[in-house]
Amino acid sequence: MTETKGNRDRDSRRKFLRNFGAAGTSLLIAGCSTKESNAKSGEKIKVLNQNQQLVEVDVSDISPATMQADKKYLKKKGRTGIPGRKFVMVVDLAKCKNARQCMKACQGAHQLKPEQHHINVLEMEDEKSNSTYFMPKPCQHCDNPSCVTVCPVDATFKRSDGIVLIDNERCIGCRFCIAACPYSARTFNWTEPRDAEKYKDVPYDMELNVPQKKGTVTKCAFSADRVREGKLPYCVSACPNGVYYFGDENQDLVTNGTTRETVRLSHLLEDNAAYTLMPELGTKPRVYYLPPRKS
Amino acid sequence: MAKVRNENTVLLSEEKIERDLLSNINWSNKFKIWFGFLTALLVVCLWFYVLQLRKGLGVTGMNDIVSWGIYISNFVFFIAAALIGMLISSVLGMIGYTWIKPISRIAEIIAVAFAMVAGIVIITDMGRPDRLHHVLLYGRIQSPIIWDISVVMTYLMLSLLLLYIPLIPDISLCKEKLTGLPKFQKKLYKVLSLGWAGNEAQYKTIKRYFKILLILIIPVALAIHTVTSWLFAMTLRTGWDSPIFGPYFVSGAFVAGCAAVLIAMYFIQKNYKLQAYITDMHFDRMAKLLVLVSLVYVYFNINEILVPAYKFKPSEVKHIGNLLYGHDSLLFWLVQGGGLIVPFMLLMIPKMRKPLPAMLISVVILVAAWFKRYVIVVPTQLEPYLPIQNVPESFHSYMPTLPEIAITVGTLVMVLMIISVLTKLFPVVPVWEMKEELLEEQHQ
Amino acid sequence: MKNFVLLLLFVLPLFVAAQDNWQVPTAEQEKLSPYVFDNDMVKDGEVLYENFCISCHGTVTKNNPIVFVPSPGDPASEKFQSQPDGSIFYKISNGRGGMPSFAPTLEEEEIWSLIGYFRNFNREYVQPEFDYGDEVLSELAMVLSYDPNVDKLVVKVTSNGEPKSGIQVGAAVKGLFGKFILGNVGTNEKGLAWFDVDRNMPGDEEGNLTVQVRAQEGYSIKKAEEKMQLVNPTERTNLIAGRHLWSKAIKAPIWLIVVFNLVISCIWGIIIYIIIGLFRLKKVS
Repeated sequence: MTETKGNRDRDSRRKFLRNFGAAGTSLLIAGCSTKESNAKSGEKIKVLNQNQQLVEVDVSDISPATMQADKKYLKKKGRTGIPGRKFVMVVDLAKCKNARQCMKACQGAHQLKPEQHHINVLEMEDEKSNSTYFMPKPCQHCDNPSCVTVCPVDATFKRSDGIVLIDNERCIGCRFCIAACPYSARTFNWTEPRDAEKYKDVPYDMELNVPQKKGTVTKCAFSADRVREGKLPYCVSACPNGVYYFGDENQDLVTNGTTRETVRLSHLLEDNAAYTLMPELGTKPRVYYLPPRKS
Repeated sequence: MAKVRNENTVLLSEEKIERDLLSNINWSNKFKIWFGFLTALLVVCLWFYVLQLRKGLGVTGMNDIVSWGIYISNFVFFIAAALIGMLISSVLGMIGYTWIKPISRIAEIIAVAFAMVAGIVIITDMGRPDRLHHVLLYGRIQSPIIWDISVVMTYLMLSLLLLYIPLIPDISLCKEKLTGLPKFQKKLYKVLSLGWAGNEAQYKTIKRYFKILLILIIPVALAIHTVTSWLFAMTLRTGWDSPIFGPYFVSGAFVAGCAAVLIAMYFIQKNYKLQAYITDMHFDRMAKLLVLVSLVYVYFNINEILVPAYKFKPSEVKHIGNLLYGHDSLLFWLVQGGGLIVPFMLLMIPKMRKPLPAMLISVVILVAAWFKRYVIVVPTQLEPYLPIQNVPESFHSYMPTLPEIAITVGTLVMVLMIISVLTKLFPVVPVWEMKEELLEEQHQ
Repeated sequence: MKNFVLLLLFVLPLFVAAQDNWQVPTAEQEKLSPYVFDNDMVKDGEVLYENFCISCHGTVTKNNPIVFVPSPGDPASEKFQSQPDGSIFYKISNGRGGMPSFAPTLEEEEIWSLIGYFRNFNREYVQPEFDYGDEVLSELAMVLSYDPNVDKLVVKVTSNGEPKSGIQVGAAVKGLFGKFILGNVGTNEKGLAWFDVDRNMPGDEEGNLTVQVRAQEGYSIKKAEEKMQLVNPTERTNLIAGRHLWSKAIKAPIWLIVVFNLVISCIWGIIIYIIIGLFRLKKVS
């Protein structure tokens, strides 16, 4: 008896995460069978569905136990790297035309305010040719992350798949990581985050870092929630100009977000004289750049 | 055969020492008005803190570029001011300078007050003060913040003991001699005197403990400021990424601390009429000490600025340029010149080491010391490696807001309150040590 | 490509006014997909959608197409899904007004995969059976093997046991986010197609790669996916193994733990010793 119940709980949890409200169809989950006889309470609760859309469901549709289990599951999932992966991004500066679709998609997905950037397209000066080029700058997901080193409470951490994430339920808001990051990749929720009221009761998803919380740090997550599903990050798939390649270093394959062409990472880096930002600092970034002008 | 203590030719005796030194222990109307004023000020500042709690750190002038503002520079200042207890009572005391005895307790009170409030300052800077317990639950010993918290706690404990242990005989004296005290105060003395009988063995014990603490506090005091400097030096930022930050901060702390002691000495001497104990000689020597530590600090400043300015590494160019002739240059030169070099040169003139001028110069030095911390903390953040773009115009600079200033003032008020209460509860000059000195002199 | 579509948007005159009734000839409406809408097809469709359609129609299910009259509509909407496959095919192929004609740009199969992608959002949808009529669909079969002598992947295509020549075979290595194309070649008279494989490509610990092969003859498509030992085994290192300053708290460097705890316990040991001593002060005489 206990075993079947345990199984059902686990199933419901999985279903909740995978199918919840997908394509706007049934929102009911298997785990709520115990409550089936109850009339709808009329009290609504908001949850995020698969497509990061906010949907409203009746409280009676979700048992508190399921809710609790999901929170726990999301927490554990966020702290565990995707097995066998080492994510890597290649940014082809020669192709960036400052369309800023990446910034838009990112801010939408992570519920950021207009001045908060997980990815920021910077206009850089090329001193040699006295011209400018555009450089999208996400978090570099360093292999020697100075931000993680200084965190006093394990709120920001590096996973086995290379992604550096933040647990905003742990973060104490000391902002030491912001001071320590040489790439200015981190931003802070100085006031109530965007749509705070709307997302108040949504369980926290560490891989998406949503809902954002006041008084905590936020930064690029390499769209850990998307790559877990085998989808390219929000910014990568939003780019209209083929700037981004994203993939798994273990497979030596990266896929272009626009053309979906898959190429060998090592060849791409070698053939185009790829570089990382400020390698002299020893941070070992996981984001590579291809030069703005081919020589 | 009482000895002539100063120009006023006051003759000292045991009775007079007791009378003089215990006279400050009363809740006079003057004190009540002063304390009432401080309380009112603190309430206003607390209101601003409640505002910050409700609305978030957005009520401050900090932004994603300058994410550490005057809270952090104020914290560094407090840590600096707290360092002085160690210099006065430990270093000088161990070398055998007996003239510091009457002012060592003042130094300890200042150290305790600043160290206590430093912890509160850091909480005001937290985005989530409600998660303070996370530091205990999930503390990561790789983080300099954890080192800093540990060492501040340790220093506070040691300072409290250093203040308390030589106080025990005096508390016992207060318990016996003072009459007409409120009930709570009597009880407080009773508890704190720990059944002191004043026998030889007890004196021996506390003197032994005191000695252990004097030795122990030297490394801890150096550590507290070195670790605080590491909060900056351990990052990769230009302007902070400097290996001499530890000694640089320690030497700066001595300057701020000496100035704070001089100011406190002046007001305590005047208000509690202790001219016979805290004499012009004390001001003279403290001022000379201030000159000495200022010189050391100037030396470190030259190292810190000249070395990168000479090399002019591309990453340092903007930061150094900003300080020397850019938009932070006015503050920089005011702090360095007006707040450090000119004052210590003035203090070299004997007339300037009289109580009033020495106090006034110390005020200038202390205010400059506060702004010096600002110059260390803020300008560096305005020069990140990558350009600041796609953010509001306000992110390109930092200006503290009213709530931020009020909260900072509030922490200073707390320090003043602690100092005021401690100097009203206990004799500010160690009675038994003065008596001991007197006895020794009489024997001779 | 998306830019080109955007350009079309502005260049084409909007000769269709507010009328929102796009008539599709009945014969066209009945057109069906000869291809089965399987996962591969849906995935291809998703990529095509993101490259050609998303700029006007918005993210599917989010109902956020650009503001335009008539509205481009969300492909997951009820109105959109109520049309037969043939109508959608006709509209994509021919276009109207702001909607460009994709017949010159996309292959028929690509348009069908787009439709397959749209139908993926409709749980009630069942793909209608395509009537292949007189055309005989050959039952293709494939055998994948590896020839170590030439470092090549060998695909043998047969139909009813007989080797089939002249069949287009595409092979790719399956990556996490896309396929790394190995090549597209026709089979020889023995039904064999060869593909170069770089032995330096990292596989898993056993040297396995997942290979996807697709053979096509007319409407007859055969797909195969197989995990094969094609390359040298590669060792996977754990990024977060060991103790570093950036590791989580429990993986702090040993020297740091020792030094930190030693110093703290020494100092606090003395402090506690003194405090205890103070409480015993009364008894000292």
